Amino acid sequence: MAKTIAIVEDDPDQRSNYKDAITKKGYEVKAYGSREEALAGFDEQLPDLAILDIILGEEVDAGFQICRDLLARSPNLPVIFLTERIDEIDKISGLRLGAWDYLPKPISLDYLAERISSLLRINEARDQEPQSDNPSAKLIGDLSLDQEALLASWKGERIDLSGTEFRMLAKLVRMPGHAVSYETLMNATMQSLVTNNTINTHMRNIRKKFEKTDAEFSCIKSEYGYGYRWSQQ
Amino acid sequence: MKFFSNFRGPRLGTKLALLGMALLIVPWFSYRQLVEMERLLIQGQSQAQLLTAEGISTLFNGRADLFNDLPIDLDDFEPLFAHPLSGPIRLDGNADDWDADLLDDYLSFGSDTGTADGDFKILLGERAGQLYAHLRIVDDNLVLRDPDYLRLDNADHIRLKFIKADAEDGRYTLVLQESSELSGFSMNEQWRYAETGAADNRVQGFVKQENGEVLIEFRFPLEPLGSRRYFGLSWFDVDDPVNREIVNSTQTLPKAGQSAFNLVVLRTPEVRNIIRGLGYSGARIMVIDDQRRVRAETGAIQVNQAPDSDPRIFQRIARTFESIRPWIHALVIGETYNELDYGDSEESEADRAISSSLSGAPIALRSRFGEKGEIILAAHPIVTEDEVIGTVVVEQNINDILAFQRTALEQVILLSVLSLFAVFIALLAFAGRLAWRIRGLRREASAAIDTYGRLRTNELTQEMYAGDEIGDLARSVSNMLSRLHRHNTFLESMPRTLRHEINNPLNTLSTSLQNLAQEYPDVAESKYLESAKRGVNRIGSIVQNLADAANLEDSLEAEELELIDLNELIDNYVANCKLVHKQRKFVYRGAGRPAFAMVSDFRIEQLLDKIIDNAIDFSRADSPIRVQLDVFGDQLQITVANRGPVLPSAVEKSVFDSMVSHRGQQNRLHFGLGLYVVRIIAEYHGGFVRALNLADGSGVAVMVQLPLALMDEEEDSGKPPIISERVSAG
Repeated sequence: MAKTIAIVEDDPDQRSNYKDAITKKGYEVKAYGSREEALAGFDEQLPDLAILDIILGEEVDAGFQICRDLLARSPNLPVIFLTERIDEIDKISGLRLGAWDYLPKPISLDYLAERISSLLRINEARDQEPQSDNPSAKLIGDLSLDQEALLASWKGERIDLSGTEFRMLAKLVRMPGHAVSYETLMNATMQSLVTNNTINTHMRNIRKKFEKTDAEFSCIKSEYGYGYRWSQQ
Repeated sequence: MKFFSNFRGPRLGTKLALLGMALLIVPWFSYRQLVEMERLLIQGQSQAQLLTAEGISTLFNGRADLFNDLPIDLDDFEPLFAHPLSGPIRLDGNADDWDADLLDDYLSFGSDTGTADGDFKILLGERAGQLYAHLRIVDDNLVLRDPDYLRLDNADHIRLKFIKADAEDGRYTLVLQESSELSGFSMNEQWRYAETGAADNRVQGFVKQENGEVLIEFRFPLEPLGSRRYFGLSWFDVDDPVNREIVNSTQTLPKAGQSAFNLVVLRTPEVRNIIRGLGYSGARIMVIDDQRRVRAETGAIQVNQAPDSDPRIFQRIARTFESIRPWIHALVIGETYNELDYGDSEESEADRAISSSLSGAPIALRSRFGEKGEIILAAHPIVTEDEVIGTVVVEQNINDILAFQRTALEQVILLSVLSLFAVFIALLAFAGRLAWRIRGLRREASAAIDTYGRLRTNELTQEMYAGDEIGDLARSVSNMLSRLHRHNTFLESMPRTLRHEINNPLNTLSTSLQNLAQEYPDVAESKYLESAKRGVNRIGSIVQNLADAANLEDSLEAEELELIDLNELIDNYVANCKLVHKQRKFVYRGAGRPAFAMVSDFRIEQLLDKIIDNAIDFSRADSPIRVQLDVFGDQLQITVANRGPVLPSAVEKSVFDSMVSHRGQQNRLHFGLGLYVVRIIAEYHGGFVRALNLADGSGVAVMVQLPLALMDEEEDSGKPPIISERVSAG
């Protein structure tokens, strides 16, 4: 059975573009133009994954509200925010609400499709597998990365990373001790417009997430003017 | 020339002080007022005196008889002046109770030498209806009356001869006798025997001898003399006590052939009686007849003693004022001030007044009196049947008025000076406060916009609640600022809004292109699709860059600062630069020791990115880019120098402004944001940035100065090195 993807986007052109692209990938797509429409649709059937724009018409926070509503009904539902609002504060509040990813416009449709499939796969994997002792997990020192479920843990503690952050971390630890350039990390985000600053922001967030678990964490080193390096402690 | 081009007008304080000069009109006006007042007072006084004189003269109008008791022409007579006596006279032969000033006024009779036998001197006085006489007689042998004889002319004696009020002749003899007292006898026509046996005790006298002189003092009632007072006195000398014959007689009467009488000249008693009651304080009233003889006089001019023994401050000021008064007078009134200068005229003021009055015109004059005093002299004619028969003169001291004027003047001057001073101080204080407030407002207003023209605040705090015009100004400037701020906010939010608005259609475009490529695989190969995608990316990056730059300050606020060794960071950075830009040469010279600062490492990296990008773009391909870190005092300095074109001097200051690019038209990927970002980051870290040409003109150095973290380690104390030299030397 095809997975149901819900798209909430007020701009009809973008909506139809998304819909066409995702439909082609073999998903069933339900596209909504407003919050009311979406909520009414969710009453009938909950989707397997939701892609939300934050600003819908006049409502600047409509996306957040829908997200809150959806997660209240189904806490494990993957939610992707897809928006032109890329300010830090929006990103943080979106992720804090429990969204799985936060993608800025303009978006690459291929990347979007990939994100969808991987998130669905991760969700499935999480549902099926117990979290500990994951056989697909790759171990780099104290770090354990589960590429399938996009789960990272440090010294056995689960680190809650967004999809982008996970991919960047995966790139970084591929060759521990070697510097990874900004360019490589940019590719890992799979977004079209990425600056060094974006990478720095992501890296800082990743660092903070690790530091929350382990205050001594210092494996991510800056290579000023070049990129980052994972160094074993 | 320079002064005038810089001079834009006096300051506020100067202007107010100049305006304050207008207050000088107060003393000017006061002085004029005072002079006018003085004039009015003196005029009033003159009028009053004239009225008094007129009033008194009315009493005499038509009373020609009062003045007719004197002959018209005094030359026919040898007058005997009876001086008014001020005190009572004791009949004791001594003249010491007579008024001292009269003692020179003895009239001499007899031989010219005045020392022959029978010569005498006489002094006449008049008091309380009595005529007093004091005689000093030269007599070598005094023969006293023998009481055995009835005859009275056989001893030394005095004969008094007069015309009674009833026009009868009157005769009295005062004969010297054993006792010192003298008594008068009314005599028969032959002067031999007394008409009555007893002496008339209204006529009394005293005689004594002193220094070879016989001193006789006697009194005689004026009443029997009537109003005409024809009067004569003779001394009859008897030297031989045996035959008792009159050997010599000396008389006051004129020589033979003349009228047999002298004239006792007195102030006209009736006239005097009339005016006696009129005398009022401080004034002297005189009645003068048409022959200019004083017929009556009462009162005296009061002389105020000025007790100036202890000159107090006020009086000292007053005296100072006296000396500058002519100057002030000339300044204010415009005339020369003369303090009564009548001394030159031949005719005295009194004479003028009397002449004028006698010719029928009442007059009031100011006149000098004594040393310093001034009087007003009012004269009014006495008329009868269209004829002037005399004049009444009223004289009064006006020193009171003058003193009043002087006091008033001093007070006016003193008050004027004080109030002028007070107002001046107040004005200065006011001006100072005003200027201070305006300066404060100006400072705040100019601080509201920084050197780059950015608004620092959207309102003013000073003077906002002041009710006056400065408050209005402050409110209006504040209002302007807040409107400007709104506009600025709008401008600042423009890039974000733009990004927001452009991103949606851009996304549509981008996704549409992707779908298009999916749907029509042959289109996917088209170079047009590729160029369309590049275009989309370019628009996206433009918008992104703009928004980043515009948001930079906001996002910096969210940055957390860490203690970082910049020496290591830059070392690392330059090393990486060599990897990234392999075709370029980089030279790093560090400080040689850790340089710790509180910074955000990403932002410092971003800052270095921008400077290095800039340096690469502007440097010659074969020349190295030098990066240098210096530490001095509590500052560190990062210098990036490159060889290449120099900065035009006009842009040295503006290269760090937003949207300013001096790359020219060929470089389309730059929006003039790079160095602007550098500046914002440097300023956020509490430092600053500047760009200058190398001393030898071979290139440009960009210098970022940041404060070192406060650490308890010894610092290089020294001056900041002169970077341009060092860099050019390196």
